[in-house]
Amino acid sequence: MTKALAVDSYLLGDAESVVARVRVGDPAALEILYRAYEAPVFNLARRICRTVEDAEDVLQETFFEVYRSIGQYRGDGPLWGWVRRVASSKALMRLRRNKYRETDELFDEVHAERREDTPLRMDLEAALERLPATSRAVVWLHDVEGYTHEEIAGMMDRTPSFSKSQLSRAHAKLRTWLGEEARA
Amino acid sequence: MTHLTMEQLVALRDAVSEPGSAESQAHLGVCADCSAEFERLHQRVARLRALPTLRPSRDRFPQVAARVRQDRRQLYVRRAGLGALALAASLLLVVVGRDVVTPPTASASDKLTAVMAESATLEQALRQIRDGGQVTDAYTARVATSLEDRIAELDRELEAAQLDASAGRDAGVLPLWRERVGLMDALVDVHLTRASNVGL
Repeated sequence: MTKALAVDSYLLGDAESVVARVRVGDPAALEILYRAYEAPVFNLARRICRTVEDAEDVLQETFFEVYRSIGQYRGDGPLWGWVRRVASSKALMRLRRNKYRETDELFDEVHAERREDTPLRMDLEAALERLPATSRAVVWLHDVEGYTHEEIAGMMDRTPSFSKSQLSRAHAKLRTWLGEEARA
Repeated sequence: MTHLTMEQLVALRDAVSEPGSAESQAHLGVCADCSAEFERLHQRVARLRALPTLRPSRDRFPQVAARVRQDRRQLYVRRAGLGALALAASLLLVVVGRDVVTPPTASASDKLTAVMAESATLEQALRQIRDGGQVTDAYTARVATSLEDRIAELDRELEAAQLDASAGRDAGVLPLWRERVGLMDALVDVHLTRASNVGL
């Protein structure tokens, strides 16, 4: 059983019937769907977005989009996989809208020297939070959610090489910040 | 010995084989440093996956539900607007169109025959719609009832006109029949617009 299928059966006992009810506009069914996927959607959004407020907005936008686009879900894959794709797109859209990228680049430039010369030891949560938003999004989507570089590139409107480069740069930074031993 | 870069190590984790991955794999087998680095990478990813699930501090479903309700209201207004537009267009056709499409040289009797035939066609179309037994929303029902009431009123006027045996009877009832056809046309439109809006 794939991770997405496992999440479906664990969080939503009767996904098919709930989807059918959401399709005809049953608000109670939408709430069942929301309660089932609220935590994983928020978690994904929070790992990608800079602030809690942004993540909460993404959570709200994701379920509104689910309600509007449920007709496009054909049932040929796990429901969680489809909802997760909607959530990822919304979170990445939020990143673009807030122009985090420019801020990240500036942040990187200013702090580059200190980062290299002064290895910091921090926990993984803090290190992940410290990554530039785009790199953090790639790390989360690739390493945790299991998307391929091609899929990430499609969602970010970039190339797979961009995704690969972001991932390796992010791991190099994480290694330093986590105080893991560098090779001689 | 040249060690593997982070990019090469990260690429080795992916199932998809990339150019140079065989060499990288071979290097891992003989280089303890790179092998240890690769293991640390695996552990880091495992720790990322094991991070606790973050949860929202407040319930956002009320906002989702409110937005859904607002969306439905807007959809309802759009549908109602389409229905009204269809009705207005049909009535405009009654007022403006009939005299344009009817040959000016036709007699009152011919015109009456043509309008009555059109009325019969529309009756047939309405019967088919009603036989379909589809569910009608409140707005459509309200518009349809008002149109049907006016048609019934016209039918009473037409019945009374049948009793009139004067020579100018055809010319007298022609406007009533035209109005009847226009109203029936509108009634068919209202039902069809409703059906297309709900995807029937």
